[in-house]
Amino acid sequence: MLLGDRAKYVMLVGGLTFAALLMTQQCAVFFGLLSWTTSHMRNMRASIWVVDPKVEQINEIKPMRDTDVNRVRSVTGVAFAVPLYTGVIQARIGDGTFKPIEMIGIDSTTLVGRPPVILAGKLENLRLPNSVMIDELAVERLSQGKARKLGIGDTFEINDREARVIGICKTDRHFFGYPYVYTTYDEALQYAPKTRKMLSMVLAEPKTGWTAAQTARAIENETQLKAYTEAEFKSATIKWFFRNTGIPASFGTTIILGFIVGIAVSGQTFYSFVLENLRHLGALKAMGASNGLLARMLMVQALTVGMIGYGLGVGLTALFGLAVVKTGQPPFLLPYQLPLFTFVVIVLICIFAALLGIRKVYKLEPAVVFRG
Amino acid sequence: MADTNGNHNGLAVHVRGVSKTFGKGEARTPALKGVDFDARLGELLMIVGPSGCGKTTLLSVIAGTLEFEGGEIDVFNTSLHSLTNREVTNFRKQNVGFIFQQFNLIPTLNLVENVSVPLLINGESRRAAGKKARELLDRLGLEGRGDDRPTNLSGGQQQRVAIARALVHEPRLVICDEPTSALDKDTGAKIMELLREVARHPNRCVIVVTHDNRVFKYADRMTEMEDGRVERVHESYSHYEKGGQP
Repeated sequence: MLLGDRAKYVMLVGGLTFAALLMTQQCAVFFGLLSWTTSHMRNMRASIWVVDPKVEQINEIKPMRDTDVNRVRSVTGVAFAVPLYTGVIQARIGDGTFKPIEMIGIDSTTLVGRPPVILAGKLENLRLPNSVMIDELAVERLSQGKARKLGIGDTFEINDREARVIGICKTDRHFFGYPYVYTTYDEALQYAPKTRKMLSMVLAEPKTGWTAAQTARAIENETQLKAYTEAEFKSATIKWFFRNTGIPASFGTTIILGFIVGIAVSGQTFYSFVLENLRHLGALKAMGASNGLLARMLMVQALTVGMIGYGLGVGLTALFGLAVVKTGQPPFLLPYQLPLFTFVVIVLICIFAALLGIRKVYKLEPAVVFRG
Repeated sequence: MADTNGNHNGLAVHVRGVSKTFGKGEARTPALKGVDFDARLGELLMIVGPSGCGKTTLLSVIAGTLEFEGGEIDVFNTSLHSLTNREVTNFRKQNVGFIFQQFNLIPTLNLVENVSVPLLINGESRRAAGKKARELLDRLGLEGRGDDRPTNLSGGQQQRVAIARALVHEPRLVICDEPTSALDKDTGAKIMELLREVARHPNRCVIVVTHDNRVFKYADRMTEMEDGRVERVHESYSHYEKGGQP
């Protein structure tokens, strides 16, 4: 019946497509944005992150004393611990303008905290003086004003000191959009503006037989520093963004709007479809179709348009994702749970829309068919 | 005494003292006021009378599509008043065929699908239902039109499809509500001839509600209603023509 009413069919599919698209795409962008907040963890990688006790999330830096590295190393259960510098510094590029960069200073001996994927060059060369490894975004940003893109062997300035590119790496995007520039911890201290305390974090690994959580608690007990396992730091960071920014509320509003639009359009359209077909439904009822049979009929029709709308909506979201994945902006993360979530919501919307009509059909007297 | 078909004295429908009221409080309107009514097997019975006299309400309660408040209705020896809603629905789907004034064919289904509906409701397979529907459409002069949509047919052809739909599951009672009022004189006459043929079955009864006096002559018997009551029963059209005088 519904498929024959082209206007309502298109309206219903359109409404549900829009709802599915809005909910899935906005959730994917939101998850993408949330993943950016913890990009440091994927770009430096460690089992245990030791920070100042007042640090609440990974993008927050409260410098510690250099001696804190040794205090962490002395804790039972710690296999090794290395210093890490992280901070935003200005880099001067070819045309004389300044660009902010996220400088990462890693331990020169172990190179723990190194970039996840190296695209060109050798990481070991980082031990050479004034050497840096930059990510793809840095290549793009720091090449402005140059005839060709920045490559291995090229130089630029960080805080009036020369930095020579020894490699290109691939990183997850920084929440604030800064390019990552890796160097050794000692070099980073030379590049960074001097402050009384320079150590940003200590990266540690547990001894065999110790879990990361056990070791982290031991570090906290013995050093009075804050130690997070990877999962704890991720959770703390995401919770911090939920508590302290309007991002979840903003995305939540859009996602709820998608849900409301879906409910309103499909509910209203499906109900008016049922009203317009009451004569036929009454005739079927008079011929002996039970309420259950008519309810199943309406439910199947509602779910059919729901599945078509869902498929189109999620398909369009996937196309959006494919389009943005190359540029990396806006953020986009589509875990398998998200289409599943949208599926459930769309099914609920369809059930609601169908129930509006079913309620009407249950109350419908078959004798209505004899009235004009 | 019940006959071999389980029917009392050849009666298909036996109605006694049935009343039905619409609305509540001050808006309460009695539509049937203690109606007594009989319809026999093998006849085409017409219920006639002015608008608002209760013809359609009587038809609705006989067909089991409308609940009534008082009295008794036996259809083929089944007491509708003693059945639950579910049982009435089941009784309707097996025993009653409907022909409506506006045909009520589903526009998005083709003719075969439309005619198959009562069989599908009765649990027949789609394939078997389609075969039966196509055969019946052929018999009613709609050969080769089974895949057409109702909107491509004339009014008369649509009513033929509606008749096919009403008969396809071989019901014993065929209920017709103003079957000719949307048709021209000639088409209406053809439809009535067809309905009379349908009624010529020893185990079937056709009840037609109409105020189209052009088709009164096709009735075997006529029941005249007025103000919610059966005023007169005419044993033939000529009896009706004479104003009920012998």
